[in-house]
Amino acid sequence: MILTEIPPERGGGPTVRRMLVGAQLRRLRTDKGITREQAGEAIRASEWKIHRLENGQVSFKDRDVVDLLALYGVDDPVEVVEFVILAREANAPGWWHDYGDLLPQWFRAYVDLESAATLIRTYEGQLIPGLLQTEDYMRAVVGGAQLEDSPEEAERRVALRLGRQTLLERKDAPRLWAVVDEAAVRRPVGGPKVMRAQVERLIEASELPNVTLQILPFVAGAHPAMVGSFSVLRFADQELPDVVYVEHLSNATYLDKRDEVERYLDVMESLCLGSEPPARTAQFLDRILDKL
Amino acid sequence: MPNPARIYDYLLGGKDNYPADREVAEQVVAIAPVTRDVVRDNRAFLRRAVRFLTREAGIRQFIDLGSGLPTHGNVHEIAQAIAPDARVVYVDNDAMVVTHSRALLAGDNTLAVHADLREPDAVLGHPEVRELLDFDQPIALLLMAILHFIPDDQDPLGIVARFRDALPTGSYLAISHSTRDIPVRPDMSAAEMAEMGARVERLYQLTTASLVTRTRAQVERFFDGFDLLDPGLVEIQLWRPDDQASMLPGGFYGGVGRKR
Repeated sequence: MILTEIPPERGGGPTVRRMLVGAQLRRLRTDKGITREQAGEAIRASEWKIHRLENGQVSFKDRDVVDLLALYGVDDPVEVVEFVILAREANAPGWWHDYGDLLPQWFRAYVDLESAATLIRTYEGQLIPGLLQTEDYMRAVVGGAQLEDSPEEAERRVALRLGRQTLLERKDAPRLWAVVDEAAVRRPVGGPKVMRAQVERLIEASELPNVTLQILPFVAGAHPAMVGSFSVLRFADQELPDVVYVEHLSNATYLDKRDEVERYLDVMESLCLGSEPPARTAQFLDRILDKL
Repeated sequence: MPNPARIYDYLLGGKDNYPADREVAEQVVAIAPVTRDVVRDNRAFLRRAVRFLTREAGIRQFIDLGSGLPTHGNVHEIAQAIAPDARVVYVDNDAMVVTHSRALLAGDNTLAVHADLREPDAVLGHPEVRELLDFDQPIALLLMAILHFIPDDQDPLGIVARFRDALPTGSYLAISHSTRDIPVRPDMSAAEMAEMGARVERLYQLTTASLVTRTRAQVERFFDGFDLLDPGLVEIQLWRPDDQASMLPGGFYGGVGRKR
């Protein structure tokens, strides 16, 4: 399943929360040995509708959720109410809703997935990872992207990126495990002054308990991700597969088929193995700082 | 090549495993359906042993040999929840395991070392290990579900003895080890259990590390020079159970001993 095929509803919708609620419904159904067809009958719908509900592809109606829970033998009223609330939250638009006009459709799912992940592994060949960029660095990147924004739009793009960063300060913050190519930390985006501040920010970030930063040095030579950057998102729920995100200039690819994801995971392992260990990151960046 | 660390990760419900690992794991589960339970029970035994060592024995230094891929409830998380100053060294010979451990476990008081426990001097003499741990103070050595990957011709007894000799009196040794002695189900005979164990051993010959089950007497010999604490070397599920412990004992022996 490629997630971009999910029909956008209500401006995107929190993909992952729907996937989670759907996965729970599937677990409850299969535990009872009930077929999708039987479940469909109970809510006056098709087998296909159940399939889509369980994959988080459509939003949940209270009545359908209540009827399905009854069929699956969930009769504790408190449990039912909690489940319905969960399903309603899954239907609500994401926090980035206010930036909807700036967010291309293909990036919306990523912002959702990112904020629901427990582990974000990313390889960046040219850019500092978005979650670790300084405001001035962002501004330089947005300015260099030839987006023909008005100054206000450009500033809101920066604000949106800053909004994404609050993720790392959340109480249940995910862990970010980033591999950044030496090229990305040497390229003076925004000029030496902006870049110095950015590298300093990276050194600080590398000391955060939920951030692991490894530099892939030039001396590593050829490596298996030379074609470009990608991220692998992992979620707490055991039934949710890892999702690979690959960004292109005007769209993005999401992969969650196991064999495809594993190819990327395998490459990510090689990159981590070939990079400087995390304990040496600060030292490495210090040396770069001296030359900027 | 299937790899025991990733097979174990898969059996625990982890996502860092590949088709080759899952294939062996599924075959093991097909032969011995209780494997998933036993693997979870082993993590629970680790949790209870580390809690005991931290809370009751007052241990503040741990060496986890053959630590495997990070999962829920890693040693430093358990120990530091009780004693924030507890220091933990994770040792593994698998490069991917060490990369993950360095990224996900390492912190001020934890360290991940790429070394092979079959070379005790490489672990004991490792400069970072010497820097983090004080070998004049008691240390707990954890050998959880790892000695059964060391066949007799590699001298596992000699290896454990070498570690023991490097630790001060009052240090601890905690071991869990697979066995075919104890039936894992009430309806299973000892002969069936032995046959099941033999078939699982044969499967592990396809992986990067063969599995050797051992008898109670054989596992007890690892505690030479240690006093086994109550209740001795028992089914892991029966070692000081808490209310979360499994009711179905078998599969692995576990014990904790204090160095004389």
